[in-house]
Amino acid sequence: MRKLIYILLSGAFLFCACSGAIEPSGTLDSLPPIEPDYSFVTVPRNIAPLNFSYTGSEPCALQVDGQTIRGKNGLFSFSPRLWKKLMEKDQVEMTVLVQQDGAWKAYRPFTLTVKEEIDPYLSYRLIPPGYQGWQKMGIYQRNLTDYGQEAILTNDLTGGNCMNCHTTAGGNPSKSVFHVRAAFGGTMLIDGDHIEKLNTKTDSTISALVYPYWHPSENYIAFSVNKTLQAFYNHDPNRIEVYDQASDVVVYDVRKHEIAWSPLTKREDRFETFPTFSPDGKWLYFCSAQAVAEMPKEHREVRYGLYRIAFNPEDMSFGEELECLYDAPAEGHSVSFPRVSPDGRFLCFTRHGYGNFSIWHHDADLWMLDLETLEKWPLEAANSPDTDSFHSWSSNGRWMVFSSRRGDGLYTRPYFTYIDENGVAAKPFLLPQQDPNAYYKRLMDSYNLPAFMNAPLEMPKHKIVKEIRNDPKTCFLRSPVARNVP
Amino acid sequence: MMDRFALAFREQQQLFLYDKTFLVQTLCTVGGLATLSGRFFVQFFWSPILALVITLGLLGLGAWLLWVSLREKRTQWQLLPLCLIPFVFLAASLSENAMHFSELTAWLIALAALYAYTRIRSYKWVWGILLTVIVYLAAGPAALLFALCAAIIGLWKKEWASAVLLPVALLCGLGAWLLGWVPTLEVAWTPSFYYDLDASMPAAHWIPWVLLPLTVLGCCLVKGPGWKKQSAFAVGTAMLAICLTPAFRLAKKAEDRQPGLTYEYEYYTVNEDWDGLIKACLQNEWIPHTAQYLNLALAWKGTLLDQMFQYDQRGPDGLIKMSDDRGVETSQAHIMFAMGNMAAAQDVAFNTLYSTEGFCPAMLKINAQVELMRGAYGVADKYLSLLEKAPHYRKWAQEQKHFLYNDEAVEADPLLGNGRRSWPKLEGFSMFESPLDELMRVIDANPGNSRGMEYALAYLLLAKDIKSVTGVVSRYYGLPGLLSLPAPVQEAVLFYSEYTRNVSGADVLGPDWCRMHGVTEETFQRFQQFQDASVKSGGKAPKGYKSSYWYYLLYKQI
Repeated sequence: MRKLIYILLSGAFLFCACSGAIEPSGTLDSLPPIEPDYSFVTVPRNIAPLNFSYTGSEPCALQVDGQTIRGKNGLFSFSPRLWKKLMEKDQVEMTVLVQQDGAWKAYRPFTLTVKEEIDPYLSYRLIPPGYQGWQKMGIYQRNLTDYGQEAILTNDLTGGNCMNCHTTAGGNPSKSVFHVRAAFGGTMLIDGDHIEKLNTKTDSTISALVYPYWHPSENYIAFSVNKTLQAFYNHDPNRIEVYDQASDVVVYDVRKHEIAWSPLTKREDRFETFPTFSPDGKWLYFCSAQAVAEMPKEHREVRYGLYRIAFNPEDMSFGEELECLYDAPAEGHSVSFPRVSPDGRFLCFTRHGYGNFSIWHHDADLWMLDLETLEKWPLEAANSPDTDSFHSWSSNGRWMVFSSRRGDGLYTRPYFTYIDENGVAAKPFLLPQQDPNAYYKRLMDSYNLPAFMNAPLEMPKHKIVKEIRNDPKTCFLRSPVARNVP
Repeated sequence: MMDRFALAFREQQQLFLYDKTFLVQTLCTVGGLATLSGRFFVQFFWSPILALVITLGLLGLGAWLLWVSLREKRTQWQLLPLCLIPFVFLAASLSENAMHFSELTAWLIALAALYAYTRIRSYKWVWGILLTVIVYLAAGPAALLFALCAAIIGLWKKEWASAVLLPVALLCGLGAWLLGWVPTLEVAWTPSFYYDLDASMPAAHWIPWVLLPLTVLGCCLVKGPGWKKQSAFAVGTAMLAICLTPAFRLAKKAEDRQPGLTYEYEYYTVNEDWDGLIKACLQNEWIPHTAQYLNLALAWKGTLLDQMFQYDQRGPDGLIKMSDDRGVETSQAHIMFAMGNMAAAQDVAFNTLYSTEGFCPAMLKINAQVELMRGAYGVADKYLSLLEKAPHYRKWAQEQKHFLYNDEAVEADPLLGNGRRSWPKLEGFSMFESPLDELMRVIDANPGNSRGMEYALAYLLLAKDIKSVTGVVSRYYGLPGLLSLPAPVQEAVLFYSEYTRNVSGADVLGPDWCRMHGVTEETFQRFQQFQDASVKSGGKAPKGYKSSYWYYLLYKQI
């Protein structure tokens, strides 16, 4: 008897979720209003099903690959089997049908273009988009091939403090670094199954280490050191300004616990920040601006250009010259977050009007620079009228994840865009969820610093928490030195 | 022992949502059932009386569960007074809001399990282990209480296997720590699990946790054959009576650790009971905090300038004082919001939005309204949709949703429209300068912001800056925010006019200027009378003018 009930219920479910073909009696000459807008996006073959919702109120259905999926309160959910089958194609056509006045009508079909696979994991911080409070935040990892999200660390385990700047070495989570601020403050360095807490403030640097980027050898991490402040605008739509009163770029030797810098990356008259290494490890890129006399009074006058300096990983020394790759201030712009593609050909950066904390600037857009020709162009298909900022390359250089406020203007969400061999972006898609509309509307956190990982971080939470709660015991920075290539 | 306003404030530290995600997410944490049920009860604490009734009812239920677990016959009523003792101290523990209400619901879960355990006849140790694990998952370290009490009862009855329950409970805690569900073993095994995780729990909260197993032991003793019912009852009642005084002291100490006045003021503020707020403020001594709430109530009643000098005023700190920490004082958000300084209101309201147990509903409301003023409808919709899932706020949220994507309705609404018009035109950072400077920018943008105008003039009056008062009057008199001059402003203007006549080099503001700017003949006459009375009193404060601005200006030290 029970078996029979199960069979009947399953049958009823299947009938509701995925039923026989509907023959539309008419067409509607527009694309369907859907959320998230996945029409004509390019997706990786291994991505989780891109469920989406029809935002109208009529009964709806989706026709794809000869199958019909009934919308449940507008939501179209793909079964894993169907989605896998769809992702085997190069292009998938979808048609949304709606029932109006008793008759089914078809909206204009749209397609998904399927391309190479993406790294399977994404790390990010979930944090209220604000202003100073961080009652609850955490660093998470998400399996991109399904909907599984797991906390790497949440601050309810560490006295409600702030944690930030989690960065892996080339997407390898077993080599990663992040900072813990306020209570139990320090820099946490994960190396395989070993974790250590570092005190990275020295007498020679203006702050503890801040924005990190791993050297491809995994022996060095470039950091900025910043005196950063934050203020809330009284009306400006950008709402918040985060600005530096001083900043420099240094390199930290993971093995020797030593930091070094070039006099050209630590100038009194300039603000240097957002360092990043080239994939061959021979160049250190960073942003640099002419320092101003009074901050925050002159904060709108601070504009960063894009520079690089040679770096020798053999002896941790720097080149003698600074090379300006993009004099953005001369054009009335500012750049931030330079990131070089894994093949070393392109450099993607965020361009905006002024300052360096582009995530709060609605004019921030992603731009690409060809490192061979120094030609630059905006990633038009990826950009939106709202903030498009912090970005990270996939290991195969074909995908980029970036933060965008295009949804509601305040809460950043991760978007993925395909980058072709010419450095041109395709229309991006929002990180998929089982019910994305409900999920993102309910979520009171912003996604911060999304970055790809090739595997999940396996270190037990209690081990991380225990080390965080310890005093920093390992890092005694030895004689910070300024080094130049002789 | 239990401050009803402190209980009511718990409701402002959470938002219980009738939402699948919220329910599942909360349940799927260690101690999730205790947390969820605790928050379920606290959602009704918007009424202080209801808060008190529910809390006392649950404490009583706990004592009853303990009694029914310990009695072997229905007639063992002599155990009742003893059973009440731990709950008297639990009430004291709950007097501090840093101790979450889930402590009480966790106890109830543990005691319900204890009752079930005492009724099990076969495979008792197996059921005991199972119950210990379930209670740990559902209620957290209260499982240790269950295990300890069950072990005491079992061992008293020579059921030796029951001794295994405590190690099982400890193992559960160890497992929770290893899995990263709790930060430390201390949290996994002790009442600090239910205390604010970013604070250190005072030792006093241990008392009910120690007393519960002792009570179980005591009950086992007194229900034995050596004790007569009456004498057991008498001893129990005497012990309960003896415990009351230290319990009250503990409760008092717990209350002293928290800003009790704020709870009461916040209750009246979030319920917009301005008369209640004034009454509450007047019952307490003058401190800037109290004066700020009093003046806030007057401002919302539209009588700040008319009535403020009827009450004790001691300088502009009584109107607003900027705190260095924008993340703690909800009062600042209320005051900035009333002033029309919406950026500052939102800055503070967002930072105080994330409370220890979820979202602060009052701050979420302010955020939603400021987003409507900004025209950031997507974000406003997000906040309103959240509030809509909480029954107590549903109606309000639904009413506000009417403004979504409707600029015309927003601009026509007295509150939202006024807020939208009050965004400063001169760009700058909020809370960087003095509150007055920011307020002047707000008024500059929207001279029709009458509450902002009142606050600005009140600030200047309290600062005794009568020259600037005159400047504001000169600039804004006759505009929508200052169509007439309230009496204290007239008094200030008149005084300044008199002052300019007596000081060489000052620009003289003659009587005609004063009349043209709203000073009435009646004020002229009263000023003359005040001057005469002052001369007569020989420099002392003349009688009958205590509620005049002249009295404040000349005789009040700030």
